[in-house]
Amino acid sequence: MAHQIEVDRLSKHYQVHEKEPGLMGSLRAFFARKYRVVKAVEGVSFNIDAGEMVGFLGPNGAGKTTTLKVLSGLLYPTSGRVNVLGFIPHQRQNEYLKQFTLVMGQKQQLMWDLPPMETFLVNRAIYEVPKGDFAAILKELDDLLELGPLLKKQVRKLSLGERMKCELAAALLHRPKVLFLDEPTIGLDVTMQARIRDFIAEYNRRHGATVILTSHYMADVTALCERIIVIDRGRLLYDGNFRALIERVAPYKVLKLQFERPPDLAALAQFGTVARADGLTAVLHVPRAHATDMAARLLSQVEVDDINFEEPAVEDIIRQVFAGQVDGLLSETGMARAS
Amino acid sequence: MRYARLFGLFLKASFLVELEYRANFAARAMVSVFWAGVTLVGAGVFYSHTDTVGGWTFDEALVIIGLFTFMGGVIQTFLQPNVQRIIEMIRLGTLDFVLTKPVNSQFMASLRYSQMFSIVDMLLGVAIVVWALFRLRYAPDLLTLAQFALMLVMAILIVYSIWMVIATLAFWLVKVNNMAELFNSVYDTGRFPVTTFQGLIRLALTFVVPIAFITTFPAQSLLGWLDATTLLAAVAMGVGLFTASALFWRRAVRSYSSAGS
Repeated sequence: MAHQIEVDRLSKHYQVHEKEPGLMGSLRAFFARKYRVVKAVEGVSFNIDAGEMVGFLGPNGAGKTTTLKVLSGLLYPTSGRVNVLGFIPHQRQNEYLKQFTLVMGQKQQLMWDLPPMETFLVNRAIYEVPKGDFAAILKELDDLLELGPLLKKQVRKLSLGERMKCELAAALLHRPKVLFLDEPTIGLDVTMQARIRDFIAEYNRRHGATVILTSHYMADVTALCERIIVIDRGRLLYDGNFRALIERVAPYKVLKLQFERPPDLAALAQFGTVARADGLTAVLHVPRAHATDMAARLLSQVEVDDINFEEPAVEDIIRQVFAGQVDGLLSETGMARAS
Repeated sequence: MRYARLFGLFLKASFLVELEYRANFAARAMVSVFWAGVTLVGAGVFYSHTDTVGGWTFDEALVIIGLFTFMGGVIQTFLQPNVQRIIEMIRLGTLDFVLTKPVNSQFMASLRYSQMFSIVDMLLGVAIVVWALFRLRYAPDLLTLAQFALMLVMAILIVYSIWMVIATLAFWLVKVNNMAELFNSVYDTGRFPVTTFQGLIRLALTFVVPIAFITTFPAQSLLGWLDATTLLAAVAMGVGLFTASALFWRRAVRSYSSAGS
């Protein structure tokens, strides 16, 4: 087997029932249901090697979570072939289930009324982790996540961030080789997001675990994943290096200018594309290769109060990809991955 | 062996949860005593008008009432809380965590959370049975006890399977709480000997929703009235229903749609 995770033309269709709004609609749906097929995932293929960290990007309902669920053996593929660690996930063999973990920011496995440690002990027994190993693993997770006093507090008394730390620990006690993380930082404040992110990076470094991550927070993906897979409406839009995508979609830097007097826009246009201009500020898109030259020339010719270079916002780039404004991405996918 | 240890661990965790809520425990104990009392007084009223009901004297019927209370305890302790939990997990999609664990998913889903308070009902049930035997001045011999034990195991398997089938329906129908209620109502007939009922109802309570196998037949076996046919039927019913429930569960897991994101 060449790759740790192989997905070949995976499709997953759901049947959902539809309901018109209001009482009449509900009554009608109670007696005669109308069904509709939703193509959650449609012909998606990719391979992932051991130790890679891959970010799944896509708007809500794009099929990211469905793909993760197929990989975890929760859902039967409608068609296509999936292979992880040499196993077919939906057969749910114990030897496979012992080697990966699934963390979902929106769902929790910790027992609500008990301290996290009780869930840990149950998981230890379920995964048959030897006592000595368990102590060592728990110690490591404790060091990395600073669980300390949390372990003895009832889960219902923990804050969202504290709970997420414990969820991660509970999910990693059997030292899985593959981590499926679905929105692990959802709802957390910026500091806690960064903590979780650092933890995931460190865990990957130490144990060479493969990580697939979905997140709404671009910062998570930017910080962790060199490679991204963009999915929208069930279809794969891009698979490859994150930086390469940015350079491809946004081959410019963003130059923010501040003036003392309203500038001459026509004069500015010779240095780059004027993306925005109002009153005393302007934003220019300057080709990446000439960014520094252009800035120097601009400074010598136009009176500027303040000047600032920025990378284009990743959110904007991804939005462009989703909006279908970027052609020929898929044909590049293979090349991008090879580079 | 591994499963016995896991079950022990599940019980321990459930017990710890209950210890968190002491007041609830006291209330539950009172509810149990109250309902056992209601059943006993009800039977007393019945027998004040007649000597036998469906061929059972009051003291004999006490054995059924004891078993009814005991099995009710089994349902309240082990089946109902887990079935409710399964329904909820299917609705919210948290069954994901059960299905991704390297352990039999039906075992884990159906025995994870027990409501230990209701053990009170099981103890009350045993007490009523012992009291009944005492009043009858009857001590079953070893063979009878062994038969009774087998009948009891089959009774538990039958109730377990019925509850699991209801829970499994939730994979398609999502909310099946009312079906659980429906079973509880039918189960209420178990406090009377099945011979009290006539014709179709009696057939239904024997073969469709086999309440007879849960209280009446085990009581008969304890009293030493059981014939071999009923014993075999009970074993067939228990093993058959259990197998069916397990197959149904496996089929359902295939069509699990994992709600939420």
